[in-house]
Amino acid sequence: MEEIIQEFITEAEESLEKIEPRFVELEQQGQNTDLLNEIFRSMHTIKGAAGFLGFQSIVDVAHASENIMKRLRDGEIDLSKPLMDAILKSIDMLRLLLGHLNEKDGVEENVAPLVQELGNALKATMSRTATGDAPLQNPAAPAAAVMPAAQITEPVKTEEDGPEEEEESHMSGAVQKPAEAPAGAPEISAVSGVGEHKPNEIIQTAKDNIQKAQNLRVDVSRIDKVMDLAGEVVLVRNRLLNISNYFDMKYSEDPMSEILTESVSFLDRITSDMQLAVMKMRMQPIQKVLSKFPRLVRDMSAAVNKEVELQISGEGTEVDKTVIENIGDPLTHILRNSIDHGIESAEERVSKGKPAKGRIIISTYQKGTQIVIEIMDDGKGIDLEKLKMKAVEKGLMTEEETRKMSDKDAIDIIFLPGFSTKEVATELSGRGVGMDVVKTNISILNGYVEVSTVKDAGTTFKISIPLTLAIIQALMVEVDGAKYAIPLSPIEETLKVMKKEINNVTGQNVIVIRDKVCPLFDLNSILGLGLNGHDDFEYKYLIVISMGDRKFCLAVDRLVGQEEVVIKTLNGLDSTSSYVLGATITGDGKVVFILDVAGISRNLLGLSKV
Amino acid sequence: MSDFKMKILVVDDFSTMRRIVKNLLRQLGYENIEEAEDGAQAFTKLKQGGFGFVVSDWNMPNMDGLELLKNVRSDPELKDIPILMVTAEAEKEKVITAIQAGVNNYVVKPFTGEILKEKMDKIFERLQAQR
Repeated sequence: MEEIIQEFITEAEESLEKIEPRFVELEQQGQNTDLLNEIFRSMHTIKGAAGFLGFQSIVDVAHASENIMKRLRDGEIDLSKPLMDAILKSIDMLRLLLGHLNEKDGVEENVAPLVQELGNALKATMSRTATGDAPLQNPAAPAAAVMPAAQITEPVKTEEDGPEEEEESHMSGAVQKPAEAPAGAPEISAVSGVGEHKPNEIIQTAKDNIQKAQNLRVDVSRIDKVMDLAGEVVLVRNRLLNISNYFDMKYSEDPMSEILTESVSFLDRITSDMQLAVMKMRMQPIQKVLSKFPRLVRDMSAAVNKEVELQISGEGTEVDKTVIENIGDPLTHILRNSIDHGIESAEERVSKGKPAKGRIIISTYQKGTQIVIEIMDDGKGIDLEKLKMKAVEKGLMTEEETRKMSDKDAIDIIFLPGFSTKEVATELSGRGVGMDVVKTNISILNGYVEVSTVKDAGTTFKISIPLTLAIIQALMVEVDGAKYAIPLSPIEETLKVMKKEINNVTGQNVIVIRDKVCPLFDLNSILGLGLNGHDDFEYKYLIVISMGDRKFCLAVDRLVGQEEVVIKTLNGLDSTSSYVLGATITGDGKVVFILDVAGISRNLLGLSKV
Repeated sequence: MSDFKMKILVVDDFSTMRRIVKNLLRQLGYENIEEAEDGAQAFTKLKQGGFGFVVSDWNMPNMDGLELLKNVRSDPELKDIPILMVTAEAEKEKVITAIQAGVNNYVVKPFTGEILKEKMDKIFERLQAQR
């Protein structure tokens, strides 16, 4: 039973997720029977299943909502804003109810007012429609048409009490002598007509459906367990690779050593494939997150009296479940900002020669091992001078500093903690606690944000996130005799430099790479292991890291090599202050810290003036 | 008299519902139960043969329960398979259409195992009598 309830919750939530954007589509397209049918069906099904499971409040809300949808579908009423609002409210309520079920918190919501509201909204619309075109909507006519049905179904209601025979005779009568059924004749002829040509087409579509239907619902914890085990296998594989290398070198003549190398490299390949397969199991289309945005944009733009059109592309792009869970808030925030600060009012837009309706485009695509999400608006862009002024005003930096800033750095002011450009914090964008949170959330996912803006043409936020979070390629480095792993994705190149190549500009070490100055930091001092600059070295290894548009170098003692590492989270570790993302076990069986490059970059470049 | 080995097809687009109906059927002792997500898939499965009974939802995408019923009744191989239609209260008025299209009986959501059994027994009794 518990399992069924769980399945019901998941399935119902999925259904709601699916139909919500449909409403916004409906609002834009007007009556669309297919859409209405789909929406009606979902609501209807949720009601049906909830009925079986005895979740009365869900049944009540779904029923009231379905009542409206049914009439919409049958064309009895037209969609209006009050109706839409009422329906959307019912979806919110269903979510809430499902949430309570899921949490098992036993909280009962009082759904009566909402049910009442839904009923009232319907009644109001019905009476409007009735006075509008009364002859069409004459309730007496359809009622008469249904009469025969009522005669037959009536006895069924009371079947427990006995008049079974009557019901039976009605039923069999109708079955055996269909021609005599009063309202049935046209139906029957339609049946044979349909029956003759349709089955073949149907079989065709059915084949496609079977392909789609091969799904299995699996508990996430089971997949995570497999993921975990796959991680362990990777670790053992790494160790075996090490050992087999050792034997290969030491006993290269021994034929057994060759066989060992062969088997291990086979294992190596299979493990990589398995990893990929397991990773794919955790992947879900990003649509799961994006589907709630049409509604969000609708509500938000209405709240600030702006017209905004949302376009979504690439919603089928698959990302890791963790990304799905964590990307919603930052995206919501960026959208809010775009609507609140970016998109201008209709008058302002028209006066600038732009279409009155603002546009926001969210596009998602995979680029190499990264998932890229772009949020592009065609609003007024970010006023950099104003940003700088505000930053000085708020004491976040000096005027001197802002003058030296490049435009790219200036944009990043919006990510400074406690920064908000609107004089009055609006209900939408909140009190400026937003954008820095966006950055933090995305760096938790090992990703980064870039912003580009053009005055009066708009702003684009580009979020890049690695495809998977659990297993990453890393560069192993050594500092002061200790090994560290640095995620490979932000590393641009590695260099070996002589001591004399390192310059010092106003207290900051820099190095010139292909005529460009790049700030240089000692990993040793960053990690607080020692002072900046043991002077007793001849040359250093540099790792050039590029996060978005920023570039900096980390100096290490030695480069050990590339390794595939499994990230194990360390409990009770504050990754923002320790620069440690997690730990892994290397091929030689040692525990090694994985460095949080995004965090290092944030802190260092905040301080650096180069 | 019930043949518990009989292969039954449960048709519903909502997997929770399929599971509920399947559980009820299992409680009644039926073991050989298969599922289909909509009428179209159900029809393909039925065409593969061996089914003795169908419990179908009404409202489904691609091919709804009524269409499935009509297709089955007009198919020479399948026309005798008994079909029990699951409907919601709101659809009662549509029941007549289903009856005319040849449904063997219908059951209104939500229902218990006993009601399901009663409906099934009735269908089989009638079929027995007709033979």
